[in-house]
Amino acid sequence: MAESICRALRDGALEGEHAPALSIKDSIVSPFGSDVFHHFLVQLSSSILSGKSQSRGIVLVAYSRSPSFYVELLRGKGLDVHSSVNWIRILDCFSDPLGWKIRLTGPGSREDSDVAILYNDVKDSGRLLMSIVKLGKGLMQDTKGCFSVAFDSLSEMVRHASAQPVAHMISSLRSNGEISSAFWMLHTDVVEEKVASIFDYLSSMVALVEPLIPSSQGPRLTLDNLAGTDENMRKARFLARLKRRNGRVRLLQEELRLDCSGLTFASLGDNVPITGGGLVPKVQFNLQLSEKEQVDRANVVLPFEHQGNGKPIEIYDGRQSLTDRKLEVALIREEMTQTSELTTGEILYIRDSDDEMPDSDEDPDDDLDI
Amino acid sequence: MAAAAAPTLTRPRVSSFSRSTQLSGLSIPLPPGIRTGPNSTAFVSSGIPTLDAILGGGYCLGSLVMVMEDPDAPHHMLLLRSFMSQGIVHDQPLLYASPAEEPRRFLGTLPSPACSTADKSPRRDREEDKGLRIAWQYKKYFDETHQSISSRKDNEIEYSSDFDLRKPLQRQFISGRKIECISILKNSDLAAFHDRCGVFLNQHARKEGSILGACRISIQSFCAPQCEYFNQEWQVLSFLRSLRSMVKSSNSVAVLTFSPSLLPPSSLKRWQHLADILISVRAIPDDDKDMAKLLTGYQDMVGLLNIHKIARPNVQVPFILDATMFSMKLQKRKYLIMECLNQAPVDGSGGSSYAASGTGSCSSASKTGPLDF
Repeated sequence: MAESICRALRDGALEGEHAPALSIKDSIVSPFGSDVFHHFLVQLSSSILSGKSQSRGIVLVAYSRSPSFYVELLRGKGLDVHSSVNWIRILDCFSDPLGWKIRLTGPGSREDSDVAILYNDVKDSGRLLMSIVKLGKGLMQDTKGCFSVAFDSLSEMVRHASAQPVAHMISSLRSNGEISSAFWMLHTDVVEEKVASIFDYLSSMVALVEPLIPSSQGPRLTLDNLAGTDENMRKARFLARLKRRNGRVRLLQEELRLDCSGLTFASLGDNVPITGGGLVPKVQFNLQLSEKEQVDRANVVLPFEHQGNGKPIEIYDGRQSLTDRKLEVALIREEMTQTSELTTGEILYIRDSDDEMPDSDEDPDDDLDI
Repeated sequence: MAAAAAPTLTRPRVSSFSRSTQLSGLSIPLPPGIRTGPNSTAFVSSGIPTLDAILGGGYCLGSLVMVMEDPDAPHHMLLLRSFMSQGIVHDQPLLYASPAEEPRRFLGTLPSPACSTADKSPRRDREEDKGLRIAWQYKKYFDETHQSISSRKDNEIEYSSDFDLRKPLQRQFISGRKIECISILKNSDLAAFHDRCGVFLNQHARKEGSILGACRISIQSFCAPQCEYFNQEWQVLSFLRSLRSMVKSSNSVAVLTFSPSLLPPSSLKRWQHLADILISVRAIPDDDKDMAKLLTGYQDMVGLLNIHKIARPNVQVPFILDATMFSMKLQKRKYLIMECLNQAPVDGSGGSSYAASGTGSCSSASKTGPLDF
């Protein structure tokens, strides 16, 4: 499933369409957002180097880590940053985002490496946009190619420049014909909910990292949730929402595992259904009977002759049931015989005796006078 | 109709009652694309015949239609495209505003009306066959009305066309028509846009001459985050209020789409109350086996459409729909139709009433509650 996201980033944009954009979100309870970001960065970089992707280069805007970290990360995965082919540029917004160091030490004190370029005006998102596009064009070396853009921490960006200019920048990047794909990472608990929903709106794929075992009591570590917290530090649930071209949404989930070798994705053993069923109103036709209803149904005395259970025929006619009457009569008779030898009058009731048996010759309709 | 009128005039009056002879039509000829309904309401088509049927005739002239988008799917674009194409086909002036840099490019994606004769005649034959089977002795009456409908259709342009979403609108339709495209991306406030809307409506309402000059305004993704006026909540609200009054006074229709997840909840409520017709579209999950079991025709479904509010301007009795949730389907992969949901009965959750569960499970973004005025 993470494979399908990698594939979407690799395949890039179709002619006339906005570039696909991936938004990776995490929170403090499962802080794997950066690891997921690095994973996708490495995957896309290897596709670029092997020539399998639409984009021929990547511009990484580094806010939360220094460029040297990324160089080391990529080198560790076997991807050489300083290779003969120019394929990556890192815009360094980490070392001196607001330009204070340059003001103190003076311009020209810091040299850019060929890969990492210093940027020190993070409050101006328009200028940032122009720098990104310029770096990308430099990577393409004026040939007709596309490049990808990655932002390692959009929550940092939004801290410096507010949400609307950043949104404007991202939508301009997406509609720029030279950009093949874009992805970014966002911590949901340090930004407002509205900001998170703005970037959900602007992205075509939303990936959310959630704890596998929901923590019950929060920060209090008891024996019960200690094991759970331990699990949550190594594993997480990875939920993705992919907006497809036909207008439908593909919902996927996987288990994320972090160990010394890196990040791996595995399918979730328990097939927890991803809610799509909440969209349609539930209809109240209940065709199955509950237990109580079944028992009640068995207890209903039907107004038919044969109850089908071998018992003698009992018809409830508003008076006491016949067996009870017979028992009563028998009891009374016993009492009476005990008390006196006289047999007093009995009421002999024969069921349906008050109904006249119609003669076969008679036509009951003869009585009618029409 | 004149022949019917003549005998009543020459015949001597026997009673004080006389038959009204104004059944044929109004004294003012209607421009094409406008239909009158009961209580002297006038409608224009939304471009989707099934949606017109659901709404009781179409979009009422003078109404502000708001479509709540789902950020996961572009279904609101289908509604906008049909609305705009219908206006172009009927030669109604159109104003289109969007947060894109070049909104004119969107006109290239508008669908073209389906070829009328090829698709319509087999349908008509089928209807006649149905008449044969069901009520043969009434066939003579059925045929008469049918003939009158068919003859009328040949003379007039159809009120509501079926749009083929796969075929783009031909250039001759777009060039030479009164279409204005505005980009609202770089507007720091909405005053300029508001003035342009006012100018557009005044210009075209006067040109038409008659009162019933219907203009169409379509605004896509109003209050998108990339627009500069995004944070100005109150300005946006006052713009909407004045748009509503402009549209009402000029007897036009405005369709506006927005994403409810981007607005603060109090603003969202205010926007929803300003709408005359409130519709929301929702995406459906792909390859969802539960949904496929639940709904028939899941394969053809594109999304869900929910109608929250319908306005009836001249009436005090509210218009109550049979159902408020419909599925948007692509028939033959070309035509967009709205269909009632055909659901298999499921184990309903015991206790909660249908209305409560219905509104509860409706789009969580809307949270409108009962908004039937």
